[in-house]
Amino acid sequence: METENTSFEPKLEFMKFSLIPICLVFILVIGMAEANEPRAGFVKNVSGQAFIERNKVVTAAKVKDMLRENDILVTGNNGAMGVILQDNSVMSIGSNTRLVISKFAFEPANEKLSFIAQIKKGTVVYLTGLIAKLNHSGVRFETPAATCGIRGTHFAIKVEDSGN
Amino acid sequence: MKNKPLLRIRNIILPLVFFLLLISGCASTTQVVLLPDPDGKVGTLEVSNVKGTQTLNQAWQATVSASMDRIPSEPKLLEEEKVRQVFREALEAEPIPPVSFIIYFRTDRSALSTESLTLLTKVMDAILSRKSTDIIISGHTDAVGAIDYNHRLSLRRAKAVADILIARGIDRQNIQVTYHGKGNPLVPTPDGRPEPRNRRVEITVR
Repeated sequence: METENTSFEPKLEFMKFSLIPICLVFILVIGMAEANEPRAGFVKNVSGQAFIERNKVVTAAKVKDMLRENDILVTGNNGAMGVILQDNSVMSIGSNTRLVISKFAFEPANEKLSFIAQIKKGTVVYLTGLIAKLNHSGVRFETPAATCGIRGTHFAIKVEDSGN
Repeated sequence: MKNKPLLRIRNIILPLVFFLLLISGCASTTQVVLLPDPDGKVGTLEVSNVKGTQTLNQAWQATVSASMDRIPSEPKLLEEEKVRQVFREALEAEPIPPVSFIIYFRTDRSALSTESLTLLTKVMDAILSRKSTDIIISGHTDAVGAIDYNHRLSLRRAKAVADILIARGIDRQNIQVTYHGKGNPLVPTPDGRPEPRNRRVEITVR
């Protein structure tokens, strides 16, 4: 009996101790996922009706607002907005514009370098930064009728309904 | 009975009209214009859709893609004034690009030289012209010395720069100070080798 007891106790102890680290690791992983929510850039200037749409929630854009992948930049009739992205590229939009930051990854150490934006409508001006410099096919602007691959650095895009 | 043929035409026309509306509703045109860089240089821009690619390589040159089933139009030179008019709002909202500065230090020192103090005047100008609320100051050392010591030295260097900017009126909350010790050299060297270019503080103003 004694030998059985001694062989059981350590097992139970092991179970107890193993659960705590597992829980801790779990909590840490969740915490890190929150903290690592990749930052794509921030709002540098705003005028008129300018909004950020995130997970279908629309909020008025303010200077210093953080931008993330999948955010949508939206402006109304007299709106405009300028943003700076993490790779030091610079982007601005005029009125009646809708632009989706559909992909943004800037991790030079892991060679993750890409920025893809979809322009649904409106006007956009973009000046490339480090992503385009380090990965020549890393930056792309998609519109309903075209895709812009970029080797240059500074350009303007206008998307409009052909009826207008 | 006489009405029947008319109805038949309607039956064809209505879906047709609807179909045409649907097509025109979906169609949108994309105009892309190559702008000169802030320093005056001009890059190259490729604009493509499934049918083909156009390359722009002159400032104010533009191409139009009307739909995915037609190749983008031949590049055409536009008048600068017209482009500025069409993109006026976006161009006015365009932030000044971020700029970086490097300040160098003597071995094992965190005090700034007279030239460095002069450079900080340019840093101040960059901050004020951008109304910057995002200033990143990172301290670095060369590969001489212990890891812990270099971490502290690189932090002292970064703080020395931050303190001067704060003393000149910059809001502390707009400054992020980071330190890298010898972990992030500008010029990689074997451990233990002195390298003046790595004894530095980098300042990025965004």
